[in-house]
Formats: sequence, structure tokens, C-alpha cells
Amino acid sequence: MERELARERTLLRRRVSVAAVLTVLVVVSSLPHMLGGGHHSFLPLWFTSPWTQLILTTPVLFWCGRDFFTGAVSAFRQHSADMNTLVAAGTGIAYLTSLFSTLFPQVLIAEGLPADVYFETAAVIFTLVLLGRLLEARARGQTSEAIRRLLQLQPPTARVLRDGQPIEIPVSQVMVGDLVQVRPGEKIPVDGVVSEGSSWVEESMLTGEPTPVAKAAGDAVIGASMNRSGSFTFRVSRVGGDTVLAQIVELVRQAQSSRTQVQRLADQVVGWFVPVVIALAITAFVVWFLISGNAVLAMLFLVSVLVIACPCTLGLATPTSIMVASGKGAENGLIFRSAEALETAGKLRTIVLDKTGTLTRGQPEVTDFERLPGGVLPAGTLLALTAALESRSEHPLAEAITTYARSQLKDSELPAVEGFEAVAGRGVQGSIAGQQVRVGTPRWFEELGIDTAALKPLVERLEAAACSVAAVVVDGRIEACFGVADPLKTSSAAAVAALRRLGLQVVMLSGDARRTAEVVAAQVGIERVIAEVRPADKSSVIRKLQEQGEGPVAMVGDGINDAPALAAADVGIAMGTGTDVAIAASDITLISGNLAGVPAAIELSRTAMANIRQNLVFAFAYNVAGIPIAAGLLFPLTGWLLSPMIAGAAMAFSSVSVVSNALRLRSFHPARLPLPTT
Amino acid sequence: MLILAAAVPLWRTIDQPVALKGLVAMVGLLLIAWELWWFLGRHGGGVVARESEAGLQEITITVDGGYAPSRIKVKAGRPLRLSFHRIDPSGCVAQVIFPDFHKTLDLPLEATTSLELPPSEAGVYPFHCGMNMVRGVLEVVEERANNQSAKRAS
Repeated sequence: MERELARERTLLRRRVSVAAVLTVLVVVSSLPHMLGGGHHSFLPLWFTSPWTQLILTTPVLFWCGRDFFTGAVSAFRQHSADMNTLVAAGTGIAYLTSLFSTLFPQVLIAEGLPADVYFETAAVIFTLVLLGRLLEARARGQTSEAIRRLLQLQPPTARVLRDGQPIEIPVSQVMVGDLVQVRPGEKIPVDGVVSEGSSWVEESMLTGEPTPVAKAAGDAVIGASMNRSGSFTFRVSRVGGDTVLAQIVELVRQAQSSRTQVQRLADQVVGWFVPVVIALAITAFVVWFLISGNAVLAMLFLVSVLVIACPCTLGLATPTSIMVASGKGAENGLIFRSAEALETAGKLRTIVLDKTGTLTRGQPEVTDFERLPGGVLPAGTLLALTAALESRSEHPLAEAITTYARSQLKDSELPAVEGFEAVAGRGVQGSIAGQQVRVGTPRWFEELGIDTAALKPLVERLEAAACSVAAVVVDGRIEACFGVADPLKTSSAAAVAALRRLGLQVVMLSGDARRTAEVVAAQVGIERVIAEVRPADKSSVIRKLQEQGEGPVAMVGDGINDAPALAAADVGIAMGTGTDVAIAASDITLISGNLAGVPAAIELSRTAMANIRQNLVFAFAYNVAGIPIAAGLLFPLTGWLLSPMIAGAAMAFSSVSVVSNALRLRSFHPARLPLPTT
Repeated sequence: MLILAAAVPLWRTIDQPVALKGLVAMVGLLLIAWELWWFLGRHGGGVVARESEAGLQEITITVDGGYAPSRIKVKAGRPLRLSFHRIDPSGCVAQVIFPDFHKTLDLPLEATTSLELPPSEAGVYPFHCGMNMVRGVLEVVEERANNQSAKRAS
């Protein structure tokens, strides 16, 4: 595909050069005539003859520009008319008229008309149109640059361990399960999981995240990301079309093949456009012939109308902007699944953020470990007892507590537990070395009649900080308590502020108790909270907001639990995890899972839609203004006639300007948020 | 050459007989009517894709200046395979895009490239070249309606 485009450009360049040289000669040859007739001594008579011009012009039309004619003819056979039809008809008519006046000048002279030829008009139009096409082809090549750059990210070879020996093989031969070595400064060839060694890896080219990510055994690495200083070995998990890179490319391509609502309108116009222009051109000829009786003059109006009209401008107005914008999104780790997602994201009024995993990291952590005044056991013993008990539980809070306790203990050996029991909604209990140990909610201990007075102030403080509290009781004596919280992502507050600056109403959705949810919301600056929502009811919350006229509504959440809500929203935005890109329910995927991507996506969408509007307004205005001028509507008022050559130049550069305007989107940069991400 | 300032010398009125003026007007109008009919009128109800025994509908489309056929009729709810045979060297038709299916197909020159589309609901699904100038339409019709129109056509 690439090669074909390059070959086409080379051919086009050659044709433009040949056409330009011949056209200059034709124009020089026609100069004496243009300057008011008579023979100028500096040019030989044979050079200014119509026959010379005929000989010079013919190759311009039928070699340099033959694609226009063959294209027009085959389109005609299919009952369709396009750009080629207009250019071929316009120049063809000018050429045939001139041919007639070269062969039979006496016929025109007898009619009282000068036997003028317009070969230079046909040649100039062709050269300009070809030049326009060349510039446009070059510019269009740049619109798909983003995809090309993504594809180039993957290194051609990988160093695979075979029988313990590293060998360099092409990436296409790497198989799932292979062990691949990566040295400092090398690119990671495919997706996998680190098995040995550690390093910092730069993933910005895929996720848009500027800070390098630490990788150690067990961490996933993405193909095409860049290893910094360390060395490591990883086991290949995905190759070929399954890799994150391949999925990104595929999603961007899909988005680029879809179309926006505004484009549907432009498409309808394009379908009617050329036949209507041909009708207008014939009308101009008839009207001017009736007014002036001058067939040559009427013919020039006809040619001008055919040549100035540019349906390409209309056809190109939106797709080029969509191409550039979705590519730009991919560069910043924002994957738009369709042009419509790009279009709607800019119109959003309400944005609903899921709490867990979106505003918070989604992994509870122990934030506080406090020993209470009445306790007697040392911290180390308490942690060992707690870890021993909690490691048998599968509750997420228990997991967080075990992880914390283990990280604080030097000895990895935990004491044995006898008679373990999990009390649903309360906690766990068991006996360790003759001691009765319980870990659970303060309310449980109140129910058991244990004195929890010392716990009260702590519980209040921790709950005000949006923490869940677990107390440790040994032989009926309160010893310590843990505060467990799902910490906010550091980028959340800044992202919420950015969304509000963009004029959006921000709503937080959470399954937590109202009080906890409100605390979290206040920390990130969200005023409106919808709390105590069961996962299954999230989508009805979205629908309710839409019914209340607060739409279009976007839902931001993870791709799994929130899938129904993402699908119900006008725009579903999924927080990716870096390794999961193709989230089916989402319209936009943020590869990195950084909330800052949401305001960036909205900004990009607004910029792109503004660009598309400019293009469409320009394309319509150009044609609506250009065609009447070319048809001579201004002539009775101002005496202006538009030369067909100027019409050709205007046409050629109108489509170039549309593509160039779309290319301005390449300079888009989302406003960087003040805080780095975690 | 006819530039803005040089327009005046070219402006020359010639008395033409009324009959000739009438004739030119008449021919012009006829030409417009014919041209609009040729490009915008409906020409045939579209070509119906043939159906294999497995229920797969297949059709080959030649890409040469336009899509031949450019209006394709298929039945709803059946898978479809479209094969594009490109003989037109113009870069414009090197891609064919099905916006409703989010599909882009690269068409190498002098080769046949196939695209399989899932069964779809009744409706009109346009497709076009990369520059949106060459267009075709995929018309998906309910089975019974298709039979009726086929009968009407015969």
C-alpha cells in the first residue's frame, strides 16, 4: 500500500514536471495574441502559430492528464460523475473548441468571431490540477502518519533463549511461551511477563504516560515500549495481531473508517454535486449565448463553471480531520473507537466517574496501624498474629492487611492457627498458641460486649479519612486497629478540576456508604455524589441522568464491572490497564488508566470538531461563492469575468487547503496536568 | 487569455437568428435533463448477490473508475463476501471503506481482495473509496421483499 502510494507520487511528479514545461511553452507561444494580436519580432512566426500550440498541448492532456479522461469515462459508464468528470469535460471542451478553430478558422471568421485558440487555458488548468493533486497526495500521506509511526515502533528482531542460548530471530518467528532477553536501551519486541531481572521501561509511545514504569518479575511488559537502564528476561504472552500494539493500530484504523453525523450530510451533498454543477454549466452556456450570441464567450463560462467546482473539498473535509485526530489520540494513549465517539465527546455535558479503580487505585491498602492504650503485646507479635489469621481469609481488606503485616515482619514464618472461622460481615477468629485472636469490625466487638471505648476516637478519625477500620482483639482485650483505604490516584483531583474547567458537570458513582463516598468526593473536588449504588444498577443511574436532560452523559469506569453502564452512556470511557486495549463496551479507551486522559480526550474532540466545521464551512462557501462567479453572475454588475485558468487554480488549491487545515491538528497537545500519575 | 482586465475586448455581441437561439436553449435543456437522468436516476434495481449452498452470499465487484456493480442487493441476516477486483491504477480507489461496519480494505492493483461482512439488518449501507468520490451502495433487504422486487424486475 505504502509502496503503491509512493509510486503514484513519483509518477505524478514526473507528469507535473512535463506538463509544467510544455505549459510554459504554450503560454509563451500564445503571448503575442494575448497582448492584443500582431506579430512580435522576438518570437518566430511558426512558434506562435495555433498548430504549435496544438502540438504542445496535446501531450499535456493526453499523457500527463490521461487518468482524468480514463477515470471520467469509466465513471460515466457506471452512471457516476466525479472530479475527473468535471476536469475532463472542462478542458476537453476548451481543447475541442480550439482544435476546431485551428482546423477551420474561416468558419469562425465568417461568423464575425476571431479564430482564437484556448490551448493555453486547457494546458494551464491541467498543470494546476495535477500540481494540486500532487500536493494533496503528499499531505494526505501525512494524515496516516500516526499509524505508520505506531507500526514502526516494533523492533524487527528479538533475542530469544533457545536451549539456554540467546539467538536473534525475526519478531514474526517469536512464539508464545518463548523467553526473550532485553538489554539496556533496547526495545521490547512483543508482549510478555517479566520472569527475571528488573528495569525501568518507557511506555509513553503507547500509553501517553511520560514517566517510566518500574518492571520486576511478574510485571507485564508491552511490545514496542523502550527499556531504559536494566536488563531482564520475559516470557512471551502475546504475538502478532494479539499484541497491544497491533490492537491499537487495528482500533485506530477502525475509527478512521467510520464516519461522523456531519459527514453523512456532506456525503449526501457530494452525491448530487457533480450532476448539478454540469447542469449549471450548461445553463450558463445557454444564458450567455442567448444574451450575447457569442458562442466562444459562452463556452468560456461553461468551462469556468466546470473547472471551479470542487466536490473533493466536500468529500475530504471530515475524513482527513478524523484521520489526523484519531492518530493524535493514539499518540496520547487515547483510543477512539469510532468517529462518532470523537464527535460526541466534545458535546458532553455530564461526566460520571466510577469511584473504585477510576478515581482510586482499586487496590485497598493499610494506611494506619495503631496500638491502643490498653494493649500489652508488642507490635511485632500483633502483626504476626494478624497475618496468620488474615492470610486464611479471602476478603479484599484481609488481603491488604496481610500484605501490610508481611511487609513489616522480618520472619516470613507465620504461627499456626487452630479453629479458624470467618464470620460473614464481621471478621475472622481462631486460636494461636493458646491465645484467642479476633480481627474484625468495631461493631462486632461491641456486639460481643468487649470494651471498645478506646477505639471510638480512632474510628471517627479514620472514617473521616474514608478508611475502613479493622480491630485486633486478643483474649478479649483490644490491642490495635488497622485503617484500610483505597487510595486516590494522584492524578484524580487535577483531572476533576480540568473537567470542571471544560464546563462539565462531574458526578461520582460509588457502591460505598454515603459518608465514605462523600469524603472521597470532597478530596477530589466533586460535589455531586451518587452513593450506595449496586454494580447492576449503575446503568440505570446513567439512563436516569439522560432522561433528566443532563446528557450527553459519559461514563468513566473499568471495562469489566462497568460494561453495562459504559454501554448505556452516550460515550463510554474505559480505563485500560496498559495491557488491555480492546475493551468492547467502550467508545474511548484510555490505555494507561490515567484519569487525565479524559479531559485530554474531550479537548481533542472539541479541537477536531472545530477543525471539521472550519473545513465544511470553507468547502461549502468556496463552492457556493465560486460557481456563481464562474458562471458570470457578477459580470453585469462589475464587468468581471473569471478566467478559466484562475478557476482551475482556485479548484486545485481549495482541496489542498482543506487537507492542510486538517494537518494543523497534528500540533494538538492536551493541556498537561500539574501532577504526575501513579 | 481571459483575465479580469482583458475581458472587455472579448465581449462582443453577435446577432443570432431567433431560431438558432431557440435551438441552443432547447438542446441545452435536453442535455441537462438527460445528464441528470443519467447520473442521478436509478439504473436497474441493483445486482443481487448469488448465494452458495452454505448460505454465504457472494459477489465480485470490479473497480474501474467506479464500482461495477455499484448497487448490490443482499438478503438480511446472511453472511456476505464481497470480492473487489481492482483494475483502475488511480490511487483514489486503492481503498474501499464501509463506514457502517468500521471496515477499511486495501485493494492492491490487478488483484482480487475479499471482505467478509457479518449478517446485517435490512437497510442501506453505502461504501466509498478513500477520498469519498467513488461510491457504491449495499442494500440489505428482508428476504420476502427481495423476492418480490426480483419478480417485479422480471
